[in-house]
Amino acid sequence: MIEALQFEFMRNAVFAGLLASILCGIIGSFVVVNRLIFLAGGIAHAAYGGIGIAFFFGIPYIYGTIGVSLAAAFIMTAVTIKAKNRQDTFIGVLWAVGMAMGVILIDLTPGYHVDLMSYLFGSILAVPSADIRWMAGLGAVTLVLTILFYRDILAISYDAEFARLRGVPVNLLYFIYIALVAVSIVFIIRVVGLILVIALMTIPPYIAEKYVRSLMMMMVLSVLLSVVFNMTGLWVSYHMDLTSGATIIMVAATGFFISLGVDQVISFSRKRKTQRSSRKMLKTKKDAL
Amino acid sequence: MTQVSPVIQVQDVSFSYNREPTLTNLTFEVPEREFLAIIGPNGGGKSTLIKLILGLLEPNHGRILVKGRSPRKMSKIFGYVPQDVNVNIQFPIAVMDVILMGRLRHRGHFGINKQDRQRVMELMTMTGIPGLENRKIRDLSAGQRERVFIARALAADPDILILDEPTASVDTAGKTELYALLKDLNETKTIIVVSHDLMIVSSYVKSVACVNQGIHYHPKNEITETMLQMGYHCPVELIAHGQPHRILKTHGDF
Repeated sequence: MIEALQFEFMRNAVFAGLLASILCGIIGSFVVVNRLIFLAGGIAHAAYGGIGIAFFFGIPYIYGTIGVSLAAAFIMTAVTIKAKNRQDTFIGVLWAVGMAMGVILIDLTPGYHVDLMSYLFGSILAVPSADIRWMAGLGAVTLVLTILFYRDILAISYDAEFARLRGVPVNLLYFIYIALVAVSIVFIIRVVGLILVIALMTIPPYIAEKYVRSLMMMMVLSVLLSVVFNMTGLWVSYHMDLTSGATIIMVAATGFFISLGVDQVISFSRKRKTQRSSRKMLKTKKDAL
Repeated sequence: MTQVSPVIQVQDVSFSYNREPTLTNLTFEVPEREFLAIIGPNGGGKSTLIKLILGLLEPNHGRILVKGRSPRKMSKIFGYVPQDVNVNIQFPIAVMDVILMGRLRHRGHFGINKQDRQRVMELMTMTGIPGLENRKIRDLSAGQRERVFIARALAADPDILILDEPTASVDTAGKTELYALLKDLNETKTIIVVSHDLMIVSSYVKSVACVNQGIHYHPKNEITETMLQMGYHCPVELIAHGQPHRILKTHGDF
């Protein structure tokens, strides 16, 4: 791996992986505790419409995807706030429409055809330096906002009504974070692709959630887990010549199943312990009698 | 009764979620340092009325004033204990951080400081959950969670305390403790409590309101015939022993 770092694309891949980890850890934790996984999936798929628009009108890819993912995110959030029980239907529709629009617009664009596979599974080895700068900026904004407004974000995620009574600008902060979710998704798609962005956003926070007692620790642990999954995945894919996005996800999934196994062991040993102590208690009671 | 200025004025308020009206033409006032129990059947609009007073919902018709201003502008005056304390139970959060939410934007200061934490520790002792500050909220019993939420409401130093069925999951001994605490707090605060519990209605509150689409407000701690008639029957846990006549006036007792 060290000798591989002499290549610029490999250095970019490592940076992209690290920055994606920061975004996945923080934003992913927000998504998981607010139960926005379906919304995040909707945004990721609708964003494909942005690719179609970008190619059809000949504008840079990044503007197309960011524009469409933001628009989709805001419509979905507005519906979520206005008509809570209809949000899943609405997200499902936007999810499909975005994808379809992307496919049709690319059909209509003469000559050039994008590599759909790289959009679906990502291409961490082909992330350009410009994207790295975007991700670094986005990571910095996310980090600063989350540190400054940590208590507010925590209150909104835990109990939005109570947060509103305390004078927290609930809707404004919620929209800002949804926007961060949307833009993060666009960049994480570059790393692991559309299909797997949700996995990388949810697996580390899901594992972290079980072992921590605060949202802050959940975010920190998710970032660390994400770094481990990304770097291990990248290393394995480099040495075994596998698709990097899919390899990263397989590593994350392995981590997920290991954590499930660890939970089983913990709950089993706890049960043994309580059994033993209750047996002991019974015995002492008998002895006392 | 001495004339005390009202802290909450509800003027001809109506509200509906869909077509069906939930509340129609409610008019009443809550005087300062009142201890009001709201009773009424399930689906009668008790929680809706509370959310209207808190400014979490807007009336379709009429208006509500809190100290002469709109509830939204006065939202920090309230300490609120919601009905469902088990919501978001898997959330990774410790007791201290839940109660600290009550200190958010306290007296205009941003962030949390040492005094805030100090205050939380005091409140935890006051509500009977000392030493639990680092426990995860999911590891507590429902009764302990209830107390955490009461402590969170009190952390805001509210003038008006609103509790939506605060004793639903508390045992009898715990209930007596909590009512005694509320009675103490009532020396300085206005308290509104939604409850089906006869005990609180009979021995702690100053007035009772039965809400079932309309409202019947009674400025004494009794349940009147009118209340029973308007709600078919208000679902108070009427127990025969004790002093039932204190709760329910008999015919011709006027």
